[in-house]
Amino acid sequence: MNDFTLGDILLALLHGLQWTAILSLTAFVLGSLGGLIILALRLAHRPALVWLAKTFIEVFQGTPLLMQLFIVFFGLSLGGVEIPPWLAAALGLTLYTSAYLAEIWRGCVNAIPNTQWEGSAALALNRYQQMRHVILPQALRMAIAPTVGFLVQVVKGTSVASIIGFVELTKTGGMLANATFEPFLIYGLVAAGYFLLCYPLSLYSRHLERTLHVAR
Amino acid sequence: MSLVNITGLHKHYGPNHVLKGVDLTVRQGDVVTLIGRSGSGKSTLLRTINGLESFDQGSITLAGQTIGSRDAKALQQLRLQVGMVFQQFNLFPHLTVGENIMMSPRVVKGESPHILREEAHALLAKVGLADKFDAWPDQLSGGQQQRVAIARALAMKPQVLLCDEITSALDPELVNEVLAVVRQLAQEGMTLIMVTHEMRFARDVSNHVVFMHQGKIHEAGHPADLFSRPQTPELQNFVSAVM
Ligand SMILES: Nc1ncnc2c1ncn2[C@@H]1O[C@H](COP(=O)(O)OP(=O)(O)OP(=O)(O)O)[C@@H](O)[C@H]1O
Ligand SMILES: [Mg+2]
Repeated sequence: MNDFTLGDILLALLHGLQWTAILSLTAFVLGSLGGLIILALRLAHRPALVWLAKTFIEVFQGTPLLMQLFIVFFGLSLGGVEIPPWLAAALGLTLYTSAYLAEIWRGCVNAIPNTQWEGSAALALNRYQQMRHVILPQALRMAIAPTVGFLVQVVKGTSVASIIGFVELTKTGGMLANATFEPFLIYGLVAAGYFLLCYPLSLYSRHLERTLHVAR
Repeated sequence: MSLVNITGLHKHYGPNHVLKGVDLTVRQGDVVTLIGRSGSGKSTLLRTINGLESFDQGSITLAGQTIGSRDAKALQQLRLQVGMVFQQFNLFPHLTVGENIMMSPRVVKGESPHILREEAHALLAKVGLADKFDAWPDQLSGGQQQRVAIARALAMKPQVLLCDEITSALDPELVNEVLAVVRQLAQEGMTLIMVTHEMRFARDVSNHVVFMHQGKIHEAGHPADLFSRPQTPELQNFVSAVM
């Protein structure tokens, strides 16, 4: 372990972990907004918008996240737009998250029985009002647990950003492993770092699943 | 004065010709009951009146206004006049009883919460559930839920109330508490169009009974005549089977 103390390693990994957390958080927040927009398009009564949303979802669900990041990163630079790896990673993960969340949430909206649409239509609510006051509040409850569950996937998914050169946890680990020749220790610590981020989310999702099941 | 006027109404579900030229006039204060075998088109006819179903031919007017546009604004306008109560209650499970009743007048009409609260309490008292304002729908029996659904429909102050087999999903011992509410509405002069299998109730409460058969009005009239002297063999069979 020549020049590196364990303290140095932990500090470097912590720094990487911080970027992984920031990238995850960015993807959650922007991906949720994107997901809402795609959801709105997907549920619109306009065939062109529905087609757009469906295509978006299918493309991002049907290709590996790594390819999506490559295409964003290298595609944009081919087009003459040079963006830093972190921006490419944030953009790629946001699109990816948007597509999955839109699909998860659409499933929840569809799970609301048709009688709720009819009941609210008969009370003279228009489509927006039905969504806002009847369908989404119920769908949201259903959506919380699978959404948090998916966020765990996003946290782990951020590791592919290392491949386009973004120095987050995995990339930090890779560099340290090369420098210290201690890959087992380093990657063990990297895995522990992901676990540290994901496990509370998993617990929280399971907790929600239990409590929301009994709640209204 | 004629409130609902239906003429030459046709409706298809794909190749299935479900309504084959229905004519029906409902005046203010009428209590009209639709009876007939399963699949004869009772629900479909009822649901065209508040635009839950479209139709292919013919016309429906409500207080002189023509219904038929599927335009969202027109549908909303129509549904402000026509309330509906469903077989499965269709209460909103994420809202309390009081919120179920107040939500639509607040959201659609923008009425003040203060007035709505008072009205909701009054409506609940009317259907015998004065103490259930803060209850959740799933804490109520079927009969209580259906009475909340009636109160919820009335909160919109509709001109006509449509009821589609509103006691069919209830345990037998809960049927009467719901029918009693409907009976009271009828006595107060509410215009009602209902589908029911409760023939005795239909005979007591309605002033016009419509027997539907294969998508048409096969026979119609005052319940006293219709039930005791059915003219067509189809109605004779139906009456002897259900009464
Ligand atoms: N959404 C639908 N799609 C296709 N066909 C339908 C639909 N709703 C009803 N039908 C058909 O239309 C016909 C009339 O149905 P409707 O529900 O109006 O009958 P009903 O008189 O209310 O019967 P019931 O007493 O069983 O409620 C039936 O043949 C039924 O199968
Ligand atoms: Mg029916």
